[in-house]
Amino acid sequence: MPTPYEVPPPPMTSGERRRVRRLERPVQGRYLAGVCAGLAQHLGLKVRHVRLAFGLACLAGGAGIAAYLFLWALTPQSLGATLVARTDAVAVGRPTNEPVRNLVVGLGFLFVGGVLVAQQRGVNLRLGLLIPILTVVGGAVLAWSQLDDAERGRWLVGDTGRAGRRAGLVRLGIGIALATVGVVVLVTQGRGFSGLWEVGIPAVAVLAGVALVAAPWGVRLWADLRAEQAQRIRETERADIAAHLHDSVLQTLALIQRQAGDSAAVVRLARAQERELRGWLYAGPLGSQASLGSAVTEVAHEVEDLHGMPIELVVTGDRPLDVGGAALVRALREALLNAVRHGAAPVSAYVEVGSESVEAFVRDHGPGFDLDAVPLDRFGVRESIVGRMSRHGGVATLRRLEQGTEVSITLPVTAPGGHPQIQPDEQNDTEALTDSHARTDAEVQADTEGPR
Amino acid sequence: MSEPRSPQPAPIRLVLVDDHRMFRSGVKAELDESMLIVGEAADVDSAIAVVAQTRPDVVLLDVHLPGGNGNGGSDVISGSGGVTTESGVPVRFLALSVSDSAEDVIAVIRAGARGYVTKTINGPDLTSAIRRVADGDAVFSPRLAGFVLDAFGAAAGEVAVIDEELDRLSTREREVMRLIARGYQYKEVAKELFISIKTVETHVSSVLRKLQLSSRHELTAWAVGRHLL
Repeated sequence: MPTPYEVPPPPMTSGERRRVRRLERPVQGRYLAGVCAGLAQHLGLKVRHVRLAFGLACLAGGAGIAAYLFLWALTPQSLGATLVARTDAVAVGRPTNEPVRNLVVGLGFLFVGGVLVAQQRGVNLRLGLLIPILTVVGGAVLAWSQLDDAERGRWLVGDTGRAGRRAGLVRLGIGIALATVGVVVLVTQGRGFSGLWEVGIPAVAVLAGVALVAAPWGVRLWADLRAEQAQRIRETERADIAAHLHDSVLQTLALIQRQAGDSAAVVRLARAQERELRGWLYAGPLGSQASLGSAVTEVAHEVEDLHGMPIELVVTGDRPLDVGGAALVRALREALLNAVRHGAAPVSAYVEVGSESVEAFVRDHGPGFDLDAVPLDRFGVRESIVGRMSRHGGVATLRRLEQGTEVSITLPVTAPGGHPQIQPDEQNDTEALTDSHARTDAEVQADTEGPR
Repeated sequence: MSEPRSPQPAPIRLVLVDDHRMFRSGVKAELDESMLIVGEAADVDSAIAVVAQTRPDVVLLDVHLPGGNGNGGSDVISGSGGVTTESGVPVRFLALSVSDSAEDVIAVIRAGARGYVTKTINGPDLTSAIRRVADGDAVFSPRLAGFVLDAFGAAAGEVAVIDEELDRLSTREREVMRLIARGYQYKEVAKELFISIKTVETHVSSVLRKLQLSSRHELTAWAVGRHLL
């Protein structure tokens, strides 16, 4: 027998972790309940061969079926997958459902055909016994399929919503009804309806009695199961949080302890960590990267990190990021850099995204400076802020306050040259531009940007 | 935010409510002698008891607190309804928070706080904010002003036709809020708009009133579909 290491991985397990050597039923790549796949994985055989063997065994008096059912009942579902199964069940369940149904229906027809042929050949199959037994088995399988781990999880959590839950209940009900009818017919063989009453009523009475006795136990089991499940979810969440805190906060605290002498570095570290944690705690879903508001926030954080001076940023409203917006973001970045370099704390930035225009203000509390006094070769304010905005149909002004300086930037949202609100073909271009600002110098960009 | 005021004969009586002892001692160290800390509390229930017993001028209130009905600072405010100082003025609350989430801030303001500042505020600014609240004025941080502009649709250009309209800001209120969001202090706002500081304070108080009484959907169901920061 080949060792597992010499055998190429079976196709369906290529995406799975190979170190699992216990006999388990994988969730992915299975046709029925994953018994063959699990066995193949466990023994290091090709899954096709295992399936073939089972198929042949089925022909030998149904031994294959018995073995399959036996293994299915006793083999746990792949552990790593059970947690994921809740989310995966929807995705995985669907593709496996289809072949299962086809297979079951096909086998059913095959079986019925076989029985008819046998009957005609004169073999006594004792249909009176066979049909009730088959009914019982069918019902039991239907009802038991509800106890499959992934199914049960899906069922309990109700991820698939009310419809999925109802479908499960219907299946369970039909299964129970089938089994009951089968049992009754089996027991009342050949005695007709009177026999049904004779046997049926005591049977129902006994069942009711058993149900009565077992009910509290069942309820407790159910409650335990739910509690355990809730506990597991909580533990997973806790582990996630712990992992995140370890990677972020604890690392930063260690860094802070090492650099305790350098107060500027400590402030910078604390601020960056605070922001990261805040984003993690309060931020909405990711993927809103292409909005003006998030671009502005990103730029402000970047400048904060570069110079370790906190910026009080307030953004109201939001809109998709277009070319003009990207220019405004870069001008704002330049203004913020000026404020933290030459001004004094506190530095405030306010961006108001209105329906007709976007206004941005950057204010510091430094001594202030005069634009005319800045030498012509200094590129910063004149080119990166004022020039850039006018090229995009906006206005940027610099104002000296009693205490500090304020840069005001206004950009009409529907500029006369016409940047429609969203231009799908320019979207990529815009993202590329905003990406580049993190790497290249702002002054260089002033030359390389925009077609105008 | 500090401007010269007539010398204060009596110090402002202050209660600190925060569940972090380290933060309470930090605040105590930063405040000057014009503030007298008469009580401290670390959770909702003890805070209500301390406020009722000491009847302070101002309560510095953390937004997130254990105990009560689970609503933190808002529970303290609603539990201290009707408590007045010795001179019959209602006890005033200044919310203090590390949380930037709009729903927390709006909730505590609507419960009755006279203002909101972040915990990163420096000592002098905190002192002047407390003094302002003790005088019955409102304290808006730039961030709160941003929230207000957004919540009232003012940033999108909605403006009240009559000043008393609860669901919108008047033109002047909008201007004041915008300047505060830009980092201007009250006296700078006054200078910019050619009005007196008293008028600025009136506008801010009126915005606070609208914030507390308006039934705008954005204020009642804040942050359901919005992620502002």
